[in-house]
Amino acid sequence: MNLRKIGFVIVLAILTLASCKNPANKPVTVNFWHIGTAATDKAYYQGVVDAYTKLHPNVTIQLTILENEAFKSKLATVMQSGTPPDVFHSWGGGMLAEYAKAGLLRDITKFTKDTDWGKSMAAGVWNVYAYDGKQYGAPFDMGAITFWYNKDILAKVGYTAFPTDFDDLVVLVGKLKAAGIVPIALGGGDKWPAMHMWTYIAERIGGKEVLQNAVQGKGNGFNDPAFIKAGDILVQLVKAGAFQDGFLGATYNDEAALVGNGKAAMELMGQWAPNVEKDSSVSKTGIGAALSAAPFPSIKDGLGKVTDVVGGGNGMAIGKNAPDAAVDFLKFLTNQENNAAYAAAAGIIPTVKGAETGIKDDNAKLVKGIVDKTEFFQLYLDQFLAPAPAGAVNDNVQAILAGTKSPTDACKAIQAAVDSNK
Amino acid sequence: MKNKSSQFLLLAFLLGPALILFTFFVVIPVFQAAFFSLFKWNGLGPIVDFRGINNFKLLFADEVFHKALTNNLIIVIVSLIIEIPLALYAALIIGRKNFKFAILFRTFFFLPYVLSEVITGLLWQFIYHPQYGLVKMFFAFFAPGVDAPTLLGNPKTVLGAIMVAIIWKYFGFHMSILIAGLQDISEEVREAAKIDGASEGQTTRRIILPLLRPTLMISIFFSIIGSFQVFDVIWAMGKGDPVNSAETMVTYMYKFGMQRFNIGYGSAVAVTIFLICLTFSVFYNRQTLKSEGMTK
Amino acid sequence: MKTQSYSSQKIFARTIQYTFCFLLLLIVVTPLYIGLLGGFKTMGQLMTDPFGFPIPFNIAKYTDLLTGKQGTFWVALTNSLIVSVGTISLTIVVCVLAAFALARMKFRGRELFKSYFMLGLLFPLAVAILPLYLQIRNMHLLDSYMGVILPQCAFQIPMTILLLRGFFLGIPQDLEDACAIDGYGPMGFLMHMVIPLSTPILSTTGILVLVASWNNFFLPLLVFNDVNKFTLPMGVMAFQGQHMSDWNMILAYLTLAMVPAIILFVAGQKYIVAGLTGGAVKG
Repeated sequence: MNLRKIGFVIVLAILTLASCKNPANKPVTVNFWHIGTAATDKAYYQGVVDAYTKLHPNVTIQLTILENEAFKSKLATVMQSGTPPDVFHSWGGGMLAEYAKAGLLRDITKFTKDTDWGKSMAAGVWNVYAYDGKQYGAPFDMGAITFWYNKDILAKVGYTAFPTDFDDLVVLVGKLKAAGIVPIALGGGDKWPAMHMWTYIAERIGGKEVLQNAVQGKGNGFNDPAFIKAGDILVQLVKAGAFQDGFLGATYNDEAALVGNGKAAMELMGQWAPNVEKDSSVSKTGIGAALSAAPFPSIKDGLGKVTDVVGGGNGMAIGKNAPDAAVDFLKFLTNQENNAAYAAAAGIIPTVKGAETGIKDDNAKLVKGIVDKTEFFQLYLDQFLAPAPAGAVNDNVQAILAGTKSPTDACKAIQAAVDSNK
Repeated sequence: MKNKSSQFLLLAFLLGPALILFTFFVVIPVFQAAFFSLFKWNGLGPIVDFRGINNFKLLFADEVFHKALTNNLIIVIVSLIIEIPLALYAALIIGRKNFKFAILFRTFFFLPYVLSEVITGLLWQFIYHPQYGLVKMFFAFFAPGVDAPTLLGNPKTVLGAIMVAIIWKYFGFHMSILIAGLQDISEEVREAAKIDGASEGQTTRRIILPLLRPTLMISIFFSIIGSFQVFDVIWAMGKGDPVNSAETMVTYMYKFGMQRFNIGYGSAVAVTIFLICLTFSVFYNRQTLKSEGMTK
Repeated sequence: MKTQSYSSQKIFARTIQYTFCFLLLLIVVTPLYIGLLGGFKTMGQLMTDPFGFPIPFNIAKYTDLLTGKQGTFWVALTNSLIVSVGTISLTIVVCVLAAFALARMKFRGRELFKSYFMLGLLFPLAVAILPLYLQIRNMHLLDSYMGVILPQCAFQIPMTILLLRGFFLGIPQDLEDACAIDGYGPMGFLMHMVIPLSTPILSTTGILVLVASWNNFFLPLLVFNDVNKFTLPMGVMAFQGQHMSDWNMILAYLTLAMVPAIILFVAGQKYIVAGLTGGAVKG
């Protein structure tokens, strides 16, 4: 009897000691910054955080939720002060590269290379959050910029499908204008919506090489005739009245509102367009089922394929001081279940293989199809390039639209900004 | 009486806190910013790329900066020829003893100043909105068939549109300062002038205005310094765009410095703004001291 | 005869003046009026009829905001109050002491100190924002109210000292002499005479500091990470980004954000002019 008791106590003691020493139970705090201020996104993230902390009670996740512009300002200063958050929203590309170069991010390659996590997403999308061969973050949303158009309006002017040829698009624009409808809604004041249009036109004209050369600093860079011609086409569109009154001062939300309220026939936008279009409309339901997506048309005699994609997405980066728990949290956030849940909740284009099941919307399925099938994927220029040249691209495209710079001069200025940033 | 060391202690107690706070949180950061201006630095990592005055050379050669400086000067001039006279005229009227509803006017005219720049920017953005703003309504009502101008979307009109908002916001502040100065001038002065047979206009011009001069000088000082430093209202109404048509030195600094991660360059702009304000301030004070010396 | 034409001239002049003032009032108040009413309208009516009275009178946006269903109005309001009261108290105490020394005491380098403080008028906060942020961070004041209060106070020092000093200069020497006779030193003079006399200027500077602190956006943005510490302007900005096209919601929020500032201002407004009158504006 006594022996048994002693034995029992000894085993108990050993177990207690063992659990004390277990590092997995040490309390850990993770700083998590995201930009999901919309109700659906906020609820989604909170759900993920709650689920994670339930599984890992020793981890405390401190949330900081900021609106897009405020987030950019604050993140910039925080990064410049050298104390990055542990897990934070990132669009990848050139900005991520700057942070990585400055040693502000944590290298998580060992967690992603040849692991289950690494295999759960395509190499192409992982690359957007990598720099110099090392991984610094993970994507959860990667889509394509497409045209989003109002089926009913197009039908009114005799179009049952979206033009597959750019010249046909110009004709459509004319017909819409004649019918008193805004052909293309454009947030020219925010600049980046116009940048997408310019990029696509240039790509369709000069093919993927033109973009690759420009971002890698090879060939003619941004002085390539394709870019200049793209600028000319933009000028023609402005002259033809393709955009709404006051487009130069309009924000992206103005653009979305025009589409959502049925006042404009189309916009060129990313995969979040349906969500924002609905949200920006007076009715809060947008144009409902009339909304359709279509790839950017090809241009006659152009080298770019209609399947080539300009796009981007969202993901999270890991700060240099982040604990392992932060990486683990990111892994959790980007697992198939959560990714699918986000797709269902907010219409993102999930990056995780198998998460497509969360996509309810036909348009989202269309965009996912476009992303999956493409042979060439270019991250939007103002994310891909470093901040200084990115700013130059946005500014100069706006100058082209405003007519204050000729396309030739604008391209020269962009190339100069790229050069001086090296 | 008090000996020297207890005098010193007293002074330390009185001046100390202000000095410490001011030096720590204002002066030192500004000097650091000046230090940054000599480097090319993206704000991340160590500061190593010394460029001397290169940032300043680039700055003075940039035509966008020229535009910004020009815009600042335009804002200064417009403030001086519209805002201040407006404030002065209003003050002269409302500051009179028997003016009815004086309190009402003073309160409401000062109100825009109390509002934050963010709110001001948003309100005016709404007013100028091309699809459902006040301007559009105005035109629809008074001039149907004429296309309402899209004031914030047109590079030619942006600055003017923003100036309206700026004057709306700040003229009440200047008016209040001037009214304060007016009330310092005793009513007897007016009485004396009336007895001497002067008309109201003459009294105002020949007697009141000169007496009001010191206050006016202060109002003008704040107006000019404020015009050089204006940022929030401009930023809230389009960030100086489209195509930098409403760019000012501080929006330029923020855009091409902070946002583009060109901290050294941004700091050079900051130092430039400071030097411009300093030069003006020294020059202005010398002028006002001189003229005040003459009237005394 | 002369009297009669002077009278009618006067009436004519007066008419012009009153008309001018009322027109000006109309122009000044219109944006505020639209903002106020806009929150009560539906988006549909807002888009077609900015001037008219809201029909139906829709209080949904306001109730959503006030009950916390949308936005974080009360939390933001509390934070703004905490920060502003803290800034005002600290600024006034610190500046009364300093201005008193600069106005009523004679010592070497007095003008130098005055000019030193006045330099602060010459640059906006944006100039020093990164080093300032680093300073705040190094003092471990991030995400704390003091991290905003201390720098805000520092930036208000130049203007506040300017106004206080001007006023203090205007206090007659006789009063100071009387205090000396009664056996009070400088501190006694300050406590028993200067401060009681200074209520107008203290209210004035208090209001100016209040306005600056209440409307400050950038500094709290940088210092606060915790959503629960966000101040009203941050709330407005974040709100606007999220609901960019919900103009009626935005206008409702803007109006609510304006109200506290307006109340505080109206309550103390008579002091602004009175305070500026006390010779403070000179010098």
